[in-house]
Amino acid sequence: MKTTSLKIFYIFFILLFLYIPIITLIIYSFNDATYSTVWSGFTLKWYRHLAENDQLINAALNSLIVAILSSTIAVFLGTITSVALYRYSFYWKKFLYYLIFIVLMSPDIVMGISWLMLFSFFNLDLGFLTLLLSHIAFSFPFVAIVIYSRLRGLDKYIVEAAYDLGAGDFIIFRYIIFPSILPAVITSWLLSFTLSMDDVLVSFFVAGPTFDILPLRIYSMVKLGVKPDINALSAIIFLFTIIIVVITQLISWDKKRG
Amino acid sequence: MKILSFKYFSIALASVWLIIFTLFPNFFILIVSFLERDEINFIKPVATLDNFKTLADPIFLSIFIKSLYLSSVTTLLCLILSYPFVLITSKFTENMKKILLLLVIIPFWTSSLIRTYALITILKANGVINSLLISLHIIDAPMNILYTDVAVFIGLTYTLLPFMIIPLFVSVDNIDYQLIEAAYDLGAGKIRTLYSIIIPLTLPGIIAGCVLVFLPSLGLFYIPDILGGSKSMLIGNLIKNQFLITMNWPLGSSISILLNLVLGILLFIYYKSLRRLNKIVTD
Amino acid sequence: MRYILILFLLFLPLVSSANKNRLYLFNWTEYMPDKIISAFEKETGIDVIYSTYDSNEVMYSKIKILGGKGYDIVFPSTYYISKMRKQNLLHKIDLSKISNFKYLNKDLLYKSFDPENRYSIPYLWGTTGIGCNSKYVNTDEIKSWNDLWKKKYKGKVLLTDDLREVFTVGLRVLGYSGNDQNRDHINEAYEQLKRLLPNVKLFASDSPKQPFLNNEVYLGMLWNGEAYMASRENPYIKYIYPEEGAIIWVDSMAIPSKAKNIENAYRFIDFVLRPEISKAISEELGYATANTESLKIMNDTIRNNKIIYPDNETIKNGEFQADVGDSILFYENLWERLKIE
Repeated sequence: MKTTSLKIFYIFFILLFLYIPIITLIIYSFNDATYSTVWSGFTLKWYRHLAENDQLINAALNSLIVAILSSTIAVFLGTITSVALYRYSFYWKKFLYYLIFIVLMSPDIVMGISWLMLFSFFNLDLGFLTLLLSHIAFSFPFVAIVIYSRLRGLDKYIVEAAYDLGAGDFIIFRYIIFPSILPAVITSWLLSFTLSMDDVLVSFFVAGPTFDILPLRIYSMVKLGVKPDINALSAIIFLFTIIIVVITQLISWDKKRG
Repeated sequence: MKILSFKYFSIALASVWLIIFTLFPNFFILIVSFLERDEINFIKPVATLDNFKTLADPIFLSIFIKSLYLSSVTTLLCLILSYPFVLITSKFTENMKKILLLLVIIPFWTSSLIRTYALITILKANGVINSLLISLHIIDAPMNILYTDVAVFIGLTYTLLPFMIIPLFVSVDNIDYQLIEAAYDLGAGKIRTLYSIIIPLTLPGIIAGCVLVFLPSLGLFYIPDILGGSKSMLIGNLIKNQFLITMNWPLGSSISILLNLVLGILLFIYYKSLRRLNKIVTD
Repeated sequence: MRYILILFLLFLPLVSSANKNRLYLFNWTEYMPDKIISAFEKETGIDVIYSTYDSNEVMYSKIKILGGKGYDIVFPSTYYISKMRKQNLLHKIDLSKISNFKYLNKDLLYKSFDPENRYSIPYLWGTTGIGCNSKYVNTDEIKSWNDLWKKKYKGKVLLTDDLREVFTVGLRVLGYSGNDQNRDHINEAYEQLKRLLPNVKLFASDSPKQPFLNNEVYLGMLWNGEAYMASRENPYIKYIYPEEGAIIWVDSMAIPSKAKNIENAYRFIDFVLRPEISKAISEELGYATANTESLKIMNDTIRNNKIIYPDNETIKNGEFQADVGDSILFYENLWERLKIE
């Protein structure tokens, strides 16, 4: 009996550790005090303040746009790449593997800096395009890996049968391979989306003045250590996250039943 | 129209993209690390080994060592905290496991910056922890947590914990319970079973988790920045400073190359150990 | 195929918004009140996009990397104006387009870092002095930079994350100028600062008042505006001018050489120079305005507040930051070593 309650206590402890900061933020987003931690009364003013903060909303929208676009393109690229690596042989195949590996292994800063240099070399203005390209570039290997491992579990015989029946490569891809890797595609899209929305390290180097994104804006707000605008923002993001997770869960439960 | 066939298109696309966005950039860094710094244009086309010689300076060595130390301790902390968690949850029902896993992932989906900021509210001298402990009369004066190495450890561990839990979880999930039952039947106590059977079987997961925590922790400069008060200079901050503050791109590049090398070696060891493990298990 | 359509639709708003009337501001954190920006936007219909930095170094590198493009107005401190001017990173201002130029304090114009005053328009000026929390520290005991070194303040001191300012403190306690280019002197300052390190809790330039408000530090270097804002929140926080002299800096508005929206930049600068606008900025941020007309209509409590508007003696005693030329590399090297210790 004692061991069981100890175990449950431990689980709670870890979960508490993970959630206390977030809960604290949410509680303080309703606190009527600018800098201090003392509870000074309930208020919704920080949410109102947030709604009026055009810069922040703009940055959030920009981040969303980049995240959606880069994830979609990364998934497109990654899927095609892993299918190519899975199905075909060509003599520089191993080399491509190494390149993918390098991106995965390099710390974000190093990647960010290398892309900064790339863009400087080609005299590209830092802005939306450079940001988008970098985000695609760091998401793409993750997509490739997730989809590749899913491909490994594919039934080779179906593909061969289709081939024997005269189906061209693209048809095989579109009607056989793609549908069976769809869950992996969706998962990797979600992964890319998260990586892009939360990215600070790479964006720090390649984002330009003309395109403000949320993580960078939060970074400068956070270093001010201050106004509960951020608390309100975090509460909203958290709520948003939960909603998305619940929705995805409901969809997958639905699928199982259907 | 053979050129437009799916096969050629896909191979070409993959290759072109990887060459432009992986080969070239890393190539640039490599080259720049051998060039000289220029006040006005960042780099001069003059070859030099100075950047690497600078790295041999004990100061830089101490930064490297400190960063490696920080990352290792963080990895260890994550391991120690996660392993019991995963072991305990392995006995729960499938649904419970799924829910718990989700609960672990959700914080990961909220911005890591915001969570780091939240830690400030909790760790500061008049923050949640100190206020609580003082009001409960457990301590008299506020504890000095924020802006110390401890705060950075807490921050890194907190951010990277899910990266340890998930691989461990997958690994523990795959254990064949019959092996454990067999051990019990043969008279092995719980602890003996743990280190003779469970730990070796989950070793791939342990190593994967360690890699997933150790690697990013070396580059996450904003956590030591925000929680460590810019007093601790780590590899991440060092590189960032070279590129954005002191404008010494060649030096920054050489540090990046070194970092990549170290990580490459570590990963190589990981890869080799995995193969050895596979051999041991299958033999 | 649906994907492509969605992509297209998402791109559309970006393309259309590219032609809006805009102004890109690059400024220190908490250095321009939101209401001023809103007022400007309302009056002119120009969309202001506001980004921030926490040190001159970061601002400088960004502008360099971008080649003088991207931002329309930046706010460099004195010695960076000369640095950027010499590297052709600043646009030569057509003073005829700034009708309110006449309101500026003549004492702050035509200085050595911008002799013809064609590259910068003074915005706010301030001092860096000693901030302290009188609840934990006896303010009568604090008179000089040297007091930061006292052993009883171990782990309770804050330094701004500004290499020049910190070295100025080190140099001043040794009797040298903060703009010293002599390597031996700089080295001595470095050794002196090393001895201060055990007392230093942290380096902070993003809102250095926060650690004071969090009771993490009891005293340290602090900008006067930050001290003013902090004292409004916590009256125990005081600002003291060290006897060696405070560090005096002037931040100006400048236009990067390849800025796109130059006309909008002129309008903004002229807007800020309106007496009532400069007055509002100074009152909210707690820094001194460079605008003499604003001083005339300033609120008495603010005008007489010694934190924001030090008296003439304090100003004479203080030292303006100036360019140190090539020795900056030497400073930087030692600064890095300092951070690593």
